[in-house]
Formats: sequence, structure tokens, C-alpha cells
Amino acid sequence: MNADGEPAGVSDAGVSKSGPHLVSIAKVACVIAAVAVLPLMMPINIATEIMIFGIFAMATNLLIGTAGLYSFGQAAFFGAGGYAAGFLLAHGWTSLPLVFGFAVVVTGLLAAAVGLVSIKRVGIYFMMLTFACNQLIYYAAYSWRSVTGGEDGLAGVRRPVLELPFVGAIPFDDNRVFYAFTAVLFLVAMAFLVRVVESPFGLVLAAARQNTRRAASLGYPVAKLQLVAFIIAGAVSGIAGALFGMLYRIVPIDSVHWFGSAYVVFMVVIGGTRSMIGPALGAFVFIWLQGLLSLTWSRWPLLLGLFVVATMIFQPDGLLALLTKRPAWLSGRRERSRS
Amino acid sequence: MVDNALLEIDGIDAFYGRSQALFGVTFSVGRNEVVAVVGRNGAGKTTTLRSIMGLTRVRTGTISFGSSRIDRLKAHQIARAGISYVPETRDPFSLLTVEENIMLGYRSGSPYDLKRVVEWFPDLAGLMHRRGSELSGGQQQMMVIGRGLTPGPRLLLLDEPSQGLAPVIVKKVGETLSALRKEDLSVILVEQNLEFALSLADRVVVLENGSVVDQLSAAEGRQSPERIERYLGIH
Repeated sequence: MNADGEPAGVSDAGVSKSGPHLVSIAKVACVIAAVAVLPLMMPINIATEIMIFGIFAMATNLLIGTAGLYSFGQAAFFGAGGYAAGFLLAHGWTSLPLVFGFAVVVTGLLAAAVGLVSIKRVGIYFMMLTFACNQLIYYAAYSWRSVTGGEDGLAGVRRPVLELPFVGAIPFDDNRVFYAFTAVLFLVAMAFLVRVVESPFGLVLAAARQNTRRAASLGYPVAKLQLVAFIIAGAVSGIAGALFGMLYRIVPIDSVHWFGSAYVVFMVVIGGTRSMIGPALGAFVFIWLQGLLSLTWSRWPLLLGLFVVATMIFQPDGLLALLTKRPAWLSGRRERSRS
Repeated sequence: MVDNALLEIDGIDAFYGRSQALFGVTFSVGRNEVVAVVGRNGAGKTTTLRSIMGLTRVRTGTISFGSSRIDRLKAHQIARAGISYVPETRDPFSLLTVEENIMLGYRSGSPYDLKRVVEWFPDLAGLMHRRGSELSGGQQQMMVIGRGLTPGPRLLLLDEPSQGLAPVIVKKVGETLSALRKEDLSVILVEQNLEFALSLADRVVVLENGSVVDQLSAAEGRQSPERIERYLGIH
């Protein structure tokens, strides 16, 4: 274990990790192919929205799937990231590192504050505290009209400009370019979060999820490590929120509403929590279904709700598990539920 | 109290809610010493280990490890100070592999790495990629003892390592614990199996109703086991 309380890698102590295997390569190839094909299947803005909510859902899955922290307040960080980036962009700052750096710092600090209040509470108390903090932040955003635009949202958000050496400035006004940029961030976020989950830090989070006291008995400051995970999830959600503001050139007040916190949990659950591909798939299905159903019936949220309920009953491991194993209701036996 | 004590427990009281579980428990553990703590169910054996580990808060009395007081530290700080706890319930991390379970607590510089754990418990060698929950009781016991060793503790707290295991597995665990005696390691062994405890320990501490009622050397215990057995309800 190093000085930060993380365990030394398993490979450090006498056992070598196996090299990259075919399954991992196939997964990476499938994800990249899906990201490339997506804008050919649907309007480019919907595809971009799926990428954005994919990032948001993967960040939330770090808490739900790995750490077992069921936060119902993640929209606070999504919205705060949107406001932070949107504020700079609406006031003429278009430097990409500045805008995203500011969004990450703001949402990271906000997540640290919410995490400090809530992380030591467990179960329903943790959920309710994150939910309450989300509502506090929502009303703060609603009231702080000079910065957030209040009920009207923060309008006038421009898209930043990417300055690359030897290439020059790449404006994101073209929706296809913005999709490509968002897709790259999606892939980077996925790689980063997979790395976090598979790291010794992620291992301790998974262990603490099963038995907090036992993990503490091995020398890990569990609450501190969970707080770090909460901050990482908040900061990555903030990046997603920043992208959302850039996509529609406005940060609506709804982006910080608790509905968003519930929706992202639905996305995670629909897709499956056992890998980062699951939440991304969940975001795809949720956004795509939302678009499809809203065209067919004015009371489409009812249908969406039924779909979520059906998924939870018949495919509790998420839709991704359909690709890897037969569902419990087909095979006639129930998978043992996860602890 | 022993000279050159590694751990000194002095008059600790511990409670579960309003119910007092330990009454002024006092004993010490020397360097490289194996101390068996015996007593009936409910005598306070596990509570004593949990109190040392900071999992049950001590209300009065002190616990010192090395030259530092640890009774106000949190569990993870006590673990980092060099104490490892192998609970009676084993508590494998069921979603982690055997290898991940064992190596979760590994610290750089620890003399006990995965290779050494496998040397002690060769039965685990072929099971490294199984989940912790997929092992038999004996295999789980070996795994969690390995998990307790990889942080490189100076004091190992073992709670009922023989409980629920087949005699052949108990023998194997006993052989490994005997081999550990050659290491620079002190052990507190909580056991109901008196024969097993006496075969491994240097000293025996007898608890009854949350109090220490006798302390004797293991040699004395082997010579006159009835001195302990009367507290265990065997006679």
C-alpha cells in the first residue's frame, strides 16, 4: 500500500497480470465502431446527446456499480458543470482547456462539499442527503439569475475553439465536428473510468461496497476513498454538463433538476452496472426511446416508465447482460442477486 | 503483564449499546508470542479482538501497541500501525477473486506476498481467479488468513480459525500457524477448540462473562487442562 492509502498493485507482489486478451480488444473495437456508426443512424444532435449522457451515466456508475453509493443528486454536478462552462463561454472566454478546467474545478469542489456532508451516511440516508443537496443546488441556480439565468436558463453559450499545433483553430460550430469532439471525450472518459475501476483504488471501493468495516480493517480509510470517487464522478459529470450546454447553446434550469439525477440512475440500471459499457448502452436506449416515444404519444413518459419497470423485473442485470448470457426469465432460474 | 510487551490491554470496558460486554479486561502480548484467548460463547473473546481493532469502541481503559496508545484510533489507522484481524465470519469479498482478496491489504515492504501465502497454503494455488465466495469453508479460511498476513502485521488477531472446518483442514491450518511462529509475528488466537489452542499458544488467557479469570502458560494448560476446562463448561 502506498502513502495515499491505495494498495500496491497485485502485480507488484509476485503475480504478473495477464496481457491484453481478445475479449478486451473486441470490446474496444465494438465501442469505437458503435461511436463511429451512431451519427449515421440518427440526427447528429441526438447522437451527440447520447455521447454526453453516456459520459454522465458512466460517471454515475463509478458510484453505483463500483462503490455501491446510490446517489440521487448527480444532476447537481451535471448542471453545475454546464453553468460553469456556459458562464465563461457566454462571456467570451472560448479557450477549451480553460472552459473544461473551470467546469471540472467547480464541480469537483461542489462534489467535495456534498460528499463531505453525505458520504459517511449509508443506504437511504445517503440517497436522501444527495437528493436534498441536489434540490438545494437547484434552488440556488433558480435564484441566482445573474449567473444562471434562473428559470430562463443560461443562454448565449458559444462553442469553444480548439487550437491545435500545425492544424490551427478548429471551430465546433459544425455539428459533425462537435460530435467528433464529444465522441473523443466519451472514449477518453470511458478509458479513464475503466482504469479507475480496475485500479487498486477501484478494488478497494468494490471491497468496501461489500464490507466497509472489513476494508477498513485492512488499513483503508474507506470514507476518504469513497469521497475521492464521489469527486471524480462529480467532475466527470460536470464535463458532460459542459458539453450539454455547448450542444444546445443554452444551460436550461432542468439540467440541474433532480429528474436528471433519477434519469441517469435509470440509464445505469437499464444498461447494467457491471461494466462501463452498460451505462453507455443505457444512455443510448434511454435517449433513443425518449425521442422515439415522444413522437408517438403525448404521454410518452408513461411508456418510458413501463419500459424501465419491465427492464428491472425481467432483466435486472441490465440490457448488456442480454448480449452475454440468457436472461433469468428465459433460462428458468434466477441469478443470485448481487450483494 | 509480560516484559517487552508488544500489546498491552489495561482495564478495558466495552459496551454494545447499554449492555456491557467487557469488564476491566487486562492482559498483554509479548513480541513473537502466541496468546490464546479462550472462554465460553459470550465470554467476550471476539469483543476483545474487535476492541483491539477499533471496531468496538472502548469506553474506559487503555490499549497500547508498541509505544503508542491505539484505543482512540480508527480501524484503518490501527491496521496501518501493524495489527491485522482475521474475523470469525471470514468475510471474503465475494465479488473479488481469491488473488484480489489476498492482495487487497498488501503493503510495499511486507514480507508476505502472494508467493509466500501460496507456499503456506498450496491448496490456493489453482484457485486464484475464482471468486472469494466460490471457495469451501477451509479454502476461505486459508484465503482470509493470507489476507491478514499480506499487510505485513506485527500482531495477528485470529478469531476462531478452526471453527466449522473438517479435522483435516484444521490440521493444515494448525501446521501453517505453527510455521508462522518462526516469523517475527505475535498472535492472539481466539479459540473454542482447547486442544488446538494449547498446541499453538505460549500462554492462555481465560475469559468469563467479559472478565479475565485466569492467565497461565500453555505448558501449565497442557499439564492441567481442567484448570481451563471448568471455565469452558467441559467438566
